[in-house]
Amino acid sequence: MNQLIQRGLQTLGSRIALLVLVSVLAHAVVHLAPGEPSEVDPGNPRMKPQDIALIRAAFHLDEPLYVQYIYWMRDLFNGELRSFKDGQPVLGKIADRFANSLPLFACATVLIWTLSFPTGIHAALRRGSLIDRSGTVLAYAMISVPGFVFAYLLILLSVNVFDLPVIGMRTFGLNDSTPWQQLMDRLWHLTLPAVMSALVGIAVLSRYVRAQMVDVIHQDYVRTAHAKGLPRAVVLYRHALRNALLPTITMFGLLLPNLIGGSVIFEQIFAWPGIGRLGYEAVLARDYPVILTLNLFAAVLTIAGTSLADLLYMLADPRMRRS
Amino acid sequence: MLKSRLALIVLPLSVLLVLAQSVLWIPTYDTLGARNPARLQSFVETSIGDARLLNPVFVADTASARIADLVFDGLLRVDDQLQLQGALATRWTVLERAYVVLADGADAKIAAQVLQRHISEQEPSLLSAPIVIHPPLSTQQSFDIARGNGPVSVKIAFPQRLELPLSRVAPNLTQLIAGAGMPGLSVEVRRERIDAGEIALSDEQVNQLLPNVEHNPEIIFWLREDARFHDRHPFDADDVVFTYQMIMDAANRSPHRASFEPVKTVTSVSKHVLRVVYKRLFSPAVNIWKIGILPEHLLNAAALSREASTAKLTAAAHRAFGLRESKFNRHPIGTGSFQFRHWSSDELIHLTRNDSYHDGAPQLRDYYFRIIPDTLTQEVEFRSGAADTYQAEPHQAARYRSDERYRAFSAILPGYTYIGYNQRKAPFNDVRVRTALGMAIDVNAIIRYALFDEGERITGPFASITQWYDPGVPELAFDRAAAIALLHEAGWAPDADGWMRKDGKVLEFNLITNNGNLRRKAIATIVQQAWRRIGVKCNVQLFEWAVFLKDFINSGQFDAVVLGWRLDLEPDLYQLWHSSQTGPNELNFVGFDDAHSDRLIEQLRREYDDDEQVRIAHELHHRIALLQPYTFLFAPRSTRLLNRRIVMRDDRGEYEPVRAGGAGDLFYHMNRWQHLAHDPGS
Repeated sequence: MNQLIQRGLQTLGSRIALLVLVSVLAHAVVHLAPGEPSEVDPGNPRMKPQDIALIRAAFHLDEPLYVQYIYWMRDLFNGELRSFKDGQPVLGKIADRFANSLPLFACATVLIWTLSFPTGIHAALRRGSLIDRSGTVLAYAMISVPGFVFAYLLILLSVNVFDLPVIGMRTFGLNDSTPWQQLMDRLWHLTLPAVMSALVGIAVLSRYVRAQMVDVIHQDYVRTAHAKGLPRAVVLYRHALRNALLPTITMFGLLLPNLIGGSVIFEQIFAWPGIGRLGYEAVLARDYPVILTLNLFAAVLTIAGTSLADLLYMLADPRMRRS
Repeated sequence: MLKSRLALIVLPLSVLLVLAQSVLWIPTYDTLGARNPARLQSFVETSIGDARLLNPVFVADTASARIADLVFDGLLRVDDQLQLQGALATRWTVLERAYVVLADGADAKIAAQVLQRHISEQEPSLLSAPIVIHPPLSTQQSFDIARGNGPVSVKIAFPQRLELPLSRVAPNLTQLIAGAGMPGLSVEVRRERIDAGEIALSDEQVNQLLPNVEHNPEIIFWLREDARFHDRHPFDADDVVFTYQMIMDAANRSPHRASFEPVKTVTSVSKHVLRVVYKRLFSPAVNIWKIGILPEHLLNAAALSREASTAKLTAAAHRAFGLRESKFNRHPIGTGSFQFRHWSSDELIHLTRNDSYHDGAPQLRDYYFRIIPDTLTQEVEFRSGAADTYQAEPHQAARYRSDERYRAFSAILPGYTYIGYNQRKAPFNDVRVRTALGMAIDVNAIIRYALFDEGERITGPFASITQWYDPGVPELAFDRAAAIALLHEAGWAPDADGWMRKDGKVLEFNLITNNGNLRRKAIATIVQQAWRRIGVKCNVQLFEWAVFLKDFINSGQFDAVVLGWRLDLEPDLYQLWHSSQTGPNELNFVGFDDAHSDRLIEQLRREYDDDEQVRIAHELHHRIALLQPYTFLFAPRSTRLLNRRIVMRDDRGEYEPVRAGGAGDLFYHMNRWQHLAHDPGS
């Protein structure tokens, strides 16, 4: 037990070190990009060099990079880090957007991680059949056609044919409605963007599951299991699927950072005030505090995701526990 | 196992089911729109970006400016003829107080008498009161004399001076005084009177710091007595003084600070009379009073310190707390026709009408500013009635203009697109080459094919919708033969391959523009082809905006460039065209240097008389068109669509179609708009 705790602490230490390294690198890279924060260069020709110097000083842009890094970290941990763009506290902004994006992410994730397995397994078992082949075509179409094309088509369909509002997080102008109606309204507005992001995810993951499954069902031990006379379902779902599932755990670990930036395009098209859009607009305005903090969160989520994947591996694969 | 397999099917299906059933509860656009009484009280606008800070002192982007315009009033505004009009000011008058320096030994009393008599004879109404004598005075002032290095503290020992109270601004005062023909009226030894520390002053700077005649234009504003802020607190002159102080306070980092730099003092004469004194003749500075006025009682030092103590802040943040940090910027209170209600970031801003607006309450009850970042989605919302206006893309403009279902408003914008030539370099330092290059381009074809006719030709440096622009300046003819003849005249002759050569070198250069602007890219391609046909070799290059500015424009390392300007409605061309503005990061990056134009630009800044300003502006327009530092291409047109059910109600309660204001400002008459339940017909 002691050993386990020690190992856990070691891992934690190394991950925190990694996080610091990532934040330092990100800080340097963001400042390498050409262009200045839009507040420094607001395109106002009347602004004099000393006014601009004043703004740069207020944002600490005139200090060496490592000092800027320290200021960033200090303000972040004080909770007083403010966006260059509108002076709002960065953490508050991120929390608001996070709350907006979470339902979208949760819905899409549930759909992806439930529907991908049946479709992938089904396709693997009937490899070469019409269903498998049309599934392949459909999946590649979903992967290769940019998401916005389908999103626009869906919007036009919904608006022009069914006369139903789909833009934004809720219907605009629905002011005097019951809480139930408002809840349903929120759900409806969730539907299209969530399904759109899910479709792309299902296309990718189901192909992955299919490939794993096809690999596994041709293994010797599966043949042995069949030869033993086990029922087909037991062979497939107990012997084959469990092994096929192992690599997808890694993908599950990479899922978390999708929370940030996973659906920038859909948030943009559906006018969804989510966290991806916050990041995108921050990049355009070179709003360093927001970009860097979002980036740090993405790094935290990635590391949390991979740690989670490690744990799941240990649970799923007895060999990992022993090593 | 079976259970988990079942879960994989049941879970997604139930999620989908829950999502799908929600459609049963959703009202259609139709029920939300025409059949919704609340919708008929409101106007809905869409915007690509969200506002930033809703405080006129900080506004620098279009979205924030749009909201601030509705919530706040300035002292002045622009009327539908593009002339200044009173908003919070009922009237104003421009006077001057001039200071004339006297030599040390001169008898001030006699000088004043002589001058008084002379001026009264020459221009009887000019002096509004007797001349006042000021004894010598030593002052310490801070001046922005070292370019780019911030203000410098300068000690000036003023000699004795005469103060002349004038009834109007008199730019010609120096000549008038010289005509008095009396000794002691100017000081020869002036450099010794100025102590600028380490800095060596140029003659021009000495002149600026201690001029023989110092002009101090003054504006007296009479303010409205019936205006109130949205919290019912009455508006008065102190609010204006406060707003000015907030702009000038360096800690606030207002982007408008430089525009207010020519102002010397702002003082309240009485509760509703305000005096603004300027440091020098600078006529464009009247326009700065269009800026929205802040409520002093909500933002003064006491109020801000109260706000800072209620917020949980660290000691350092508490000390740094200022106007920028105040919650006011997200919950503004002004005197405007609409008052702020609610702001949901990146979603919408809601305003409601100010029922007690001093100029008559708007007819519409609600104003919504919806943030929809995608133009296609914006169009969908407009077409389905969930937004009342939409800015058509150029390629859609013609189609929408002929669409009966919408009202289209087209307006030429104040600004233009041009090809600029780096005149520090050969061959662009030769006016014949620049003119020839311009004559080789079929600008009408560019407007037709690259702009879908959403533009209008221009010939010079002013916004074509303003009076400063002289429509009499002829367009540069599209004439290849004449262009080639001009190149011959400049010493260029075609070689065996047809390329123009001079001293063995082909006439070849790079034409650059910023990446991502498809229109400029198309123009560059058309121009490249046009020049090839007169034997000029041009290579087109595109660069990302930040790189484009840093590596090429600001460093002056380019040949020719396709770019555009958005202009103010004022005639001041100093930053764009004056020869002193050619340094790094300055806007005359093409290096235009013409003494005649410089003189006209300076004269224009010093002139307060409207007719005289127009005359000088037209002369300047002619001069620049003659020298062709740019090939002026076109002013863009914008087409905005409006819901047909939005109409205007006149004083007798009758409806008429919406009319736009000056410069195509669709919202000029917005306070009179109404949203009808039915299409009123044409």
